[in-house]
Amino acid sequence: MSSQARGLNNFITDLRNAKSKEEESSRIEVELAKIRKKFNPGGGTKLAADGSNPSLSSYQRKKYIWKLVYIHVLGYEVDFGHAEVLALVRSKKYGEKSVGYVALSLLLRGSDPVMGGVIDTIKKDLTMAPMTKVGGGKTSSKGGGVKNDATQCLALCSLANISGLELIQAMHVEVQHILVSKGSTEQVKKKAALCLLRLTRTSPNLISGRIFAPHVVQLLQDKHLGVLTSVMSLLNGLASQQTEEYGVLIPNIVHILSVLVLKKDCAREYLYYRTPSPWLQIKLLKFLQLYPDAIEGHDIGMGGNDHVGQLINVVTRIMFETEVSDSINKSNADHAILFEAVNLIVAWGTTCPPEMREGAMNILGKFISVREPNIRYLGLSTMAQLAQIDGSVEGAKKHQATVLVSLKDADISVRRRALDLLFVICDTDNAERIVDELVAHLVVADASIREEMVLKIAILAEKYATDLRWYVDTILKLISISGDYVSDPIWHRVVQIVTNHPQGDLQGYAAATLFLAVSTHRCHETTVRVAAYILGEFGFLIAERPGMSGEEQFHVLHQHWYNVDTQTRSILISSYAKLANLYEECRPLVAPVFAKSKNSVDVEVQQRCAEYASMREAFSPEAVEDLLREMPPFEDKRRSALELRLLETEGENSAAVTKASTPSEVEQQRAMLNAQMMDEGMAPIDEQEEPELEEEMADGAAEAAEDEKIAAVEANPTLVGIPKDLIPAMRKAFSNLCTSPSGVLFENAMLQVGVKHEYVGAQGRISVFFGNLHATALHNFKVKVDQPDHLRVQMQGTQGLIDDGEGDEGCSIENKTQAKMLLLVEVTAPFDDAPSMRITFETEEGERHDYPLRLPLVATCFMEPVNLDPGAFMQRWKSLEGQDRECQEVMRLPPNSSGIDEEYMSRVSNIIVNGLKFGRCEGVDPTPWTVSGAATFRTGAKDVNGNNINVGCLVRVEANPKANAFRVTTRTLHPLCSKAIKNVSLVSIKLAAL
Amino acid sequence: MISFILMVNKQGQTRLSSYYEWMDMQERVALESEIIRKCLSRSELQCSFLEYRGFKVIYRRYASLFFIVGTKADFDVRVKGIASDSDNYENELGMLEFIHILVETMDRWAGSICELDIMYQLEQVHFLLDEMVMNGYVIDTNKSNILRSIDLIEREGSKNEGMFR
Repeated sequence: MSSQARGLNNFITDLRNAKSKEEESSRIEVELAKIRKKFNPGGGTKLAADGSNPSLSSYQRKKYIWKLVYIHVLGYEVDFGHAEVLALVRSKKYGEKSVGYVALSLLLRGSDPVMGGVIDTIKKDLTMAPMTKVGGGKTSSKGGGVKNDATQCLALCSLANISGLELIQAMHVEVQHILVSKGSTEQVKKKAALCLLRLTRTSPNLISGRIFAPHVVQLLQDKHLGVLTSVMSLLNGLASQQTEEYGVLIPNIVHILSVLVLKKDCAREYLYYRTPSPWLQIKLLKFLQLYPDAIEGHDIGMGGNDHVGQLINVVTRIMFETEVSDSINKSNADHAILFEAVNLIVAWGTTCPPEMREGAMNILGKFISVREPNIRYLGLSTMAQLAQIDGSVEGAKKHQATVLVSLKDADISVRRRALDLLFVICDTDNAERIVDELVAHLVVADASIREEMVLKIAILAEKYATDLRWYVDTILKLISISGDYVSDPIWHRVVQIVTNHPQGDLQGYAAATLFLAVSTHRCHETTVRVAAYILGEFGFLIAERPGMSGEEQFHVLHQHWYNVDTQTRSILISSYAKLANLYEECRPLVAPVFAKSKNSVDVEVQQRCAEYASMREAFSPEAVEDLLREMPPFEDKRRSALELRLLETEGENSAAVTKASTPSEVEQQRAMLNAQMMDEGMAPIDEQEEPELEEEMADGAAEAAEDEKIAAVEANPTLVGIPKDLIPAMRKAFSNLCTSPSGVLFENAMLQVGVKHEYVGAQGRISVFFGNLHATALHNFKVKVDQPDHLRVQMQGTQGLIDDGEGDEGCSIENKTQAKMLLLVEVTAPFDDAPSMRITFETEEGERHDYPLRLPLVATCFMEPVNLDPGAFMQRWKSLEGQDRECQEVMRLPPNSSGIDEEYMSRVSNIIVNGLKFGRCEGVDPTPWTVSGAATFRTGAKDVNGNNINVGCLVRVEANPKANAFRVTTRTLHPLCSKAIKNVSLVSIKLAAL
Repeated sequence: MISFILMVNKQGQTRLSSYYEWMDMQERVALESEIIRKCLSRSELQCSFLEYRGFKVIYRRYASLFFIVGTKADFDVRVKGIASDSDNYENELGMLEFIHILVETMDRWAGSICELDIMYQLEQVHFLLDEMVMNGYVIDTNKSNILRSIDLIEREGSKNEGMFR
């Protein structure tokens, strides 16, 4: 080994002895100045045509260029000396040329304009006559041949490392030629392959796969594993661009792989700790991953001679016969191949035999519990891939506990992988556990991973929340533990979700929870922001609760005013405006805040205050009311901001991103409920979802499932349910009530339940009376009303009557007195069932009663008649034809009924008009045997423009007196509406017969 | 593909670097120092991989020398979206052992390789690396093949002019 130029060594020694970065850089400045001077001394010295200094000796030139290379490696900009580099490249001497090319690769980029000056030289070097092979492939002379060869290599290497469009256009034909030429040596071929790869990367579609594939077949015959390794890199690059064109090579690749794996046939120099070139094996396996369908449809069990059977043998061998060796190098090399084989199984996905997938999962399961950190890291990472295949996530979930251990590992790399895997295996079943674990870990997690964790927890909680209240709680926990890492998109999302889900009591719950969260003086600013927004929007829902009045809402928010920044203040100001609008008593509190902040230095704060303060003078009360109304639901984007954030940090193909963008079942259900609400009922609904609901509706009160419960109740001696013989009467009472404004819903010897209900548009007011007919008082009397998603319900009633799930005593109803309950409802989406109402009480004799009933609150209650002329009716009737929108059923009357006559038909028409509240369209009914009507189903939900969503409904009843049958057809914009109207009509018509 | 290879002493000074993708000097210095800082702060008990700004970094320590390889997802594979993220990267254990065979090759050439060899044999180390990695991909792992080329360069270099020493 020869030593370097002394000057270079001295320079390096100087730098090495430098005590500080400053000393180093000043030494480098000196050196750069010196070299610059040497290259261009100025004065009388004339430079050569190419800009280099001809008076430099070869030794000097090389020495200075190496110094520049070294300076560059140390991280300093080197922006001169290019001419000298090119002079070296042009040199005829190999020693100079080699230095020139190395410097070219390191110092210059392909797009540099000076490259133009060297194209010819590179081309000449590339196309140097290859040495002639004589006798057994030995070179004829040590001189020209080897040197030409080596020069070619230098040019290829440099070309590959720098690339550049101009260079490619000038050279790609030559490079291709060198690669496939029979005259090229292995040394040259392997470099030509990688050079070509670089060229095709910079300019794809340079090579047509169809033409080039046969050449690759030739190259794959090469026994030289160096050539094979390089060719495989090239092939992987080409095949990823034009996958189909290279699919024909699969058998060749499988053959090479099986020689290495099964026969262990490999030149000695390529054995790495007794493993045949692991790097080549990896590349072969990577190629196969580009063809996920390769084994689909093949009969794998047969083994056979075909390449698929062989491939399965190879993968099986790698999977099940890889052992841990004493040598860490051997072990690593073998496991490198093993992991690549598992990646292949991942690529095959569901087309892979299940036993192989299970085998892989078991192996990875072992890996993630070992102490060796590399294997554990890769095990976690690969398992996250494998778990994404359909049907594999269950296998991965078994290892949940082990993964949680790695989440607490000291190594951030391992923790990240564990987090990623947990994210992948999380679903509705284990979401609460995993999210709670993650939240618990967040407390101790270090800063580097916190942001990622917070983001992932937020996504999981949203995705898998079966109860959105849990989601709201989780995010609040995130803010309190790690508020600084909760980015704006996360809390914006909470607001969005709460606003878009008026069902249940989510909005009230969120308002109450946030009220409590901001009551303490010390809370995170983000909490203040969310609370300000939510209380501004939904504070009215809790204003009746003790201690949460509008005034109190103002106070808990305003205590933070002086600790928050202007952005938060802007949000607070809007909330104050809304509070002041709703509650008279807030106005004097809010006014001074506005007055003071009108002069704020922050433009946003200033503007908001000024505008809100002068709003009342400038606009009519209605306009103000309108401006300060609740915000309409947010538009649901396909990708939430959180997913985009994840995409930014992890890249398109990360497991987490794929996972986050696929909606979970719970999400889909939520989306569906929302779609019903939003789309004027245009959303298709899965038919099979509803069958039992239909039953329930038709039967009115207690249906099959409830019957069972009643029976069960009867079996218990101290618990009394509804006697079976009462059920038919109850159903009839229910059905009657569906079409009449008041009546008795239930009556037995002890209790009478009366209902009075009236509706305006989407809103209804239902009074329920519970009269005690018993001789003594009824105690612990409680009523629990189901609050379905499609109804917004507000309840009030006799103290203790309403069962809010808190296990209160209930109320007592004295003999001959009654308790009252008032429900105010607003419908937000089409529906086809009736809310349940469960009554429980105890008599003084100690008997406990339990009556499951249903409120006669059905879709037709919310109808508003529409009067259409016959033409318009028929036009709409036709336009609503189609399976989703139409519902039809034929009903035969019982044989003992009176038969269908004109009098009966007038009763039917009465039901349609007065009971179902449809506008009769007489013009389309030429005979007395049909009744047609139109109505609008009103909901309180708003569309994007803030208008109420309504569903147009049409109904037709046709009688066939001879067959003693009726046919009811409904057509509406929403399948649930169609179904509900049909059911109510049928039941009512049937009742009219009796 | 391999984006860069660094050889760094335990004080965190870069002794050799080779980049296979062009990067602005400013960006490069920032990236390099951050990755080196991260590698050096890790203990022996931690794994040999770390993820940083889209790079998967694989490193190995030999006495006072760190060998650091930065790999990146292959661009065109990612566009196609065929493979999942682990496939786009170089095989991690494969890279770890590639570092080892690089060191073994250097050992065979210079006895037991040390920091000073790399500093004062700058040229040869560059030539050697060019024989093993090109354009971010492994060319060859056959030590004899690799060293034969180095021999040639040394021979030709000294034949043409005697001054190069």
